[in-house]
Amino acid sequence: MTRTKSVSVAATVVVTALALTSCGSGGGEQVAADKKQTLTVWAMGEEGTRLKAVTDEFTEQHPNITVKVTPVGWDVVHQKLVSAIAAKKTPDMAQMGSTMMGEFIALDALEPVDTKTFKKSDFFPATWDSNVKDGTAYGVPWYADTRALYYRTDLAKKAGIDKAPTTWKEQQALAAAYQKAGAEWGTDLQPSSTGAWQSWVQYLYSAGGELIGEDGKPALDSPAAIRAFTEWAGYFKKGLAKKTFTPGYDVTKDFGSGKRPMFQSGPWMVRNIDDQQPQIKNKYKVVPVPADKTSTSWVGGASLVTFKNSAHKAAAEELTQYLTTPKVQAEWYEADKALPANKAAWDEPALKGGGDSLTTFKTSLDTAKAIPPLEKWNEYAAAVEGALAKISQGADPAATAKALQKTAEGLVG
Amino acid sequence: MSTTTAQAGTPGAGQDAVVPKAQGDGAGPDGRRRDRLSRHNLSGWLFSTPFLVLFLTFMAFPIVATLLMSFTDFGLRNVTDPLSAQFVGLDNYTKLFQDDKFVKALFNTGYFVILGVPLTIGSGLAAAVLLNSGIDRLRTFFRVGFYAPVVTAIVAVAVIWRFVLDPSEGLIAGLGHQLGIQTPDFLGSETLAMPSLIMMAVWRNMGSAMVLFLAGLQAIPTEVREAARIDGAGIFQEFRRITVPLLRPTMLYVAVMTTIGFLNVFEEPFVMTDGGPSDSTLTISLHMYREGFDFFHMGYASAMAYVLFVIVLAITTLQLRLLKDKTS
Repeated sequence: MTRTKSVSVAATVVVTALALTSCGSGGGEQVAADKKQTLTVWAMGEEGTRLKAVTDEFTEQHPNITVKVTPVGWDVVHQKLVSAIAAKKTPDMAQMGSTMMGEFIALDALEPVDTKTFKKSDFFPATWDSNVKDGTAYGVPWYADTRALYYRTDLAKKAGIDKAPTTWKEQQALAAAYQKAGAEWGTDLQPSSTGAWQSWVQYLYSAGGELIGEDGKPALDSPAAIRAFTEWAGYFKKGLAKKTFTPGYDVTKDFGSGKRPMFQSGPWMVRNIDDQQPQIKNKYKVVPVPADKTSTSWVGGASLVTFKNSAHKAAAEELTQYLTTPKVQAEWYEADKALPANKAAWDEPALKGGGDSLTTFKTSLDTAKAIPPLEKWNEYAAAVEGALAKISQGADPAATAKALQKTAEGLVG
Repeated sequence: MSTTTAQAGTPGAGQDAVVPKAQGDGAGPDGRRRDRLSRHNLSGWLFSTPFLVLFLTFMAFPIVATLLMSFTDFGLRNVTDPLSAQFVGLDNYTKLFQDDKFVKALFNTGYFVILGVPLTIGSGLAAAVLLNSGIDRLRTFFRVGFYAPVVTAIVAVAVIWRFVLDPSEGLIAGLGHQLGIQTPDFLGSETLAMPSLIMMAVWRNMGSAMVLFLAGLQAIPTEVREAARIDGAGIFQEFRRITVPLLRPTMLYVAVMTTIGFLNVFEEPFVMTDGGPSDSTLTISLHMYREGFDFFHMGYASAMAYVLFVIVLAITTLQLRLLKDKTS
C-alpha cells in the first residue's frame, strides 16, 4: 500500500519521454552472420535459464557469435519490452508469448520472417498462424502448448465410469458422477479473473465458433459462442464447479487429493503432477478436450522474433534456424518439457516414446486453432473475462454475449 | 583556494581570518560580502545537486509529464512515436466518470478508507496504551509482534492470509470445522472480500501507528498523570482528559499518513483478489495500474492519477483543518 502506483505510471512516462530525445537508429548497418558479434536474446522465466545450455552448443558451431541470454520474468516482460521499444534499446531477439504477438506487430517492432528459410508447412498450422498479420509472418514458432482434459481414472471408476469423456455431455456427466462419489467439485474451471479466457476458448472452438470472424470483426455473440458460454456456465449452474476464484490458485494439489478430479490445462501440468503428487501416477489420464461439433483446442506457446532495429539480423536468423531444427527441438523438449512446434521433431526418439499424454497433445496440436494476433489482445481477453465472470455468477449467456460483442467491436479495428 | 583570497590580493596564511574582521568593522565593500555569499551558495548547490537531479528526473518531470499526458490519448502506438499522441482536452477526465469501473473503484476505495483508517488508528492506539502501561516483561515481545507485519514483504503476508482465509483448508475454516460451523469463502464473496482486505491492511499498518503513538505516550510527563491521579481521576478519565488531548499532534500525523496510504491502496487487492470477485475489491490504484500497464491507456491512466491526487489533497487538507484547530 505504501507503493504509490501513480509514481510507476509516471516512471513509464519518463522512459517514453526519454525516447523522444534518443534518435532512431532503426535498421542501421547490418553485421554479416560470419563476422564476430554478440547476439542478445531475451527469454522468459524458466526458459531463460534453460536456454543457456542450448545456445552454448550453438556457439560451439558458430565461434564468431557470442549469445547473451537474459532471463526475464513472465510477469514483467510485457512492460520491459514496451519500455525497450520506446527507448529503442531492444535485444536482437526474443521469445514472444503467442498472445503478445499482435501488440508488438502493431508497434512495428518486429522483423518479418524470411519465408524462404522458414516454411509454414514445417510447423503445426496454429503455431504459425498466431504470428501472421495481413499475410506476413513476424515470428517463427518455437514451442507449442495446447489444452487437453486431465481426469482421474481411479476416481472415475469408483463413480462408475471407465471410459474417457469424448463429448461435452459425457464430460458433464463425469463431473456429476465425481461429485456424487464424494469429490468436493466435479471439475475445476476458472470462473473469473486474469486467465479465465483460457478455460473457455476450447469450448468456443469446439462449438465451431471464432474469436474473430471471417469479416474481421469479433464473433462473440454468434450462435456457437452463445452455445459455448451456455455449456461453460452449466458447470457453475449445477454446482459442479466453484463459482469463485482465488488468484494464484493451483489445481495440482486438489487434483492429487481428489477434491477436483478433472480440469483442462496445458502439457506442463504433466510434470507438475508427477513432481508434486507422485501418489497418483497412473491414476489419471490426459485426453483431448471433449467435443461438441469437433474436439478443437487452442494453441499457446512461444515464438522467436527478431527486432527491426537489430544490427545482427543474419546471426539471429542462424540461431532461430538452429533452435527450430527437429533435433534441437527434441532436446528442448527434454530440457523444458515444452512441446516442439516443428512437426518433424515429433519423430525424434525423445518424443516418440513419450507416452499417452504426448500422443494426446500431438493429436490436439494437429487440429487446434490459433489465438489471432490482436493489437489489443489484453483488453479483448479482459472483456471476455468480464463476461465469463458474469455468466459464472448466473447472468444470461445470450444477453451477456451481446454486450460483450459490443465492447469487443470497439477493440478491433 | 577561494575567490575571496584572489580578490583580496594578499596571499598567504591567515587570510581567511582577515575576512570576517574586514566585514566586522564595516570596511568590507559590498562586493566582498556577495562573494562570500556566492561561495556559500556554490557549495550549497554542489551538495544538493545529486538530490536535485534525482528529484527533477524522477519526481518533478514525471509529475509534469503525467499532467500533460492526461490531456492526450497516449496509447501503445505512441510508444515508438510519442509526439503523435493527440491532444484531447478534458476527454480523459470526463470519460472517467462515465466509466462504471472507475466509479466502482472510487466507491471501493472510499469504503476501504472509511473503515480501515479508524480501525488502524484505534488498534494502533490501543496497542500503544497497552504496551505503555505495565507488562514490562513482554513489552519487547509485543512490540516486535505488532511491528513485524509492517516490515514483512507483501508476498509473504499474502501467503499467510491466504492460509488464514482459505475456505477449505484455512485456519478459520479449520476452526469452524472443529466447532461445526460452516465458514464463508471470505475472498470469494462479493460482500466479504473487501472487509477481509481491510482486516489484513489494518493488521499490516497498525504496527507503524502503534510505534508513533508509543513515542507520543512516552512524551507525556508522568507528573501530569500523577497529578490527575491525586485529583481522583480514574483510568478512563485519565485517558480522556490527559492522554487523548496530549496525543493530538501524534494523532494528526498518524491520521493524515494512514489516510494517504489507504487512499493509495494497491497491494492488498493486487495480490489477494486481483480486484475480484466482480470488481468488488477494485481500487483506484489497481484500476489505474491495469489501464496503464495492461492496456497501455497512458493518457487515461494519467488522468486517473491526477483525480486520485486531487482527492488525496482535498481529504488531507480537510483533515489538517479539522484536527489542527483543536490542537492549537
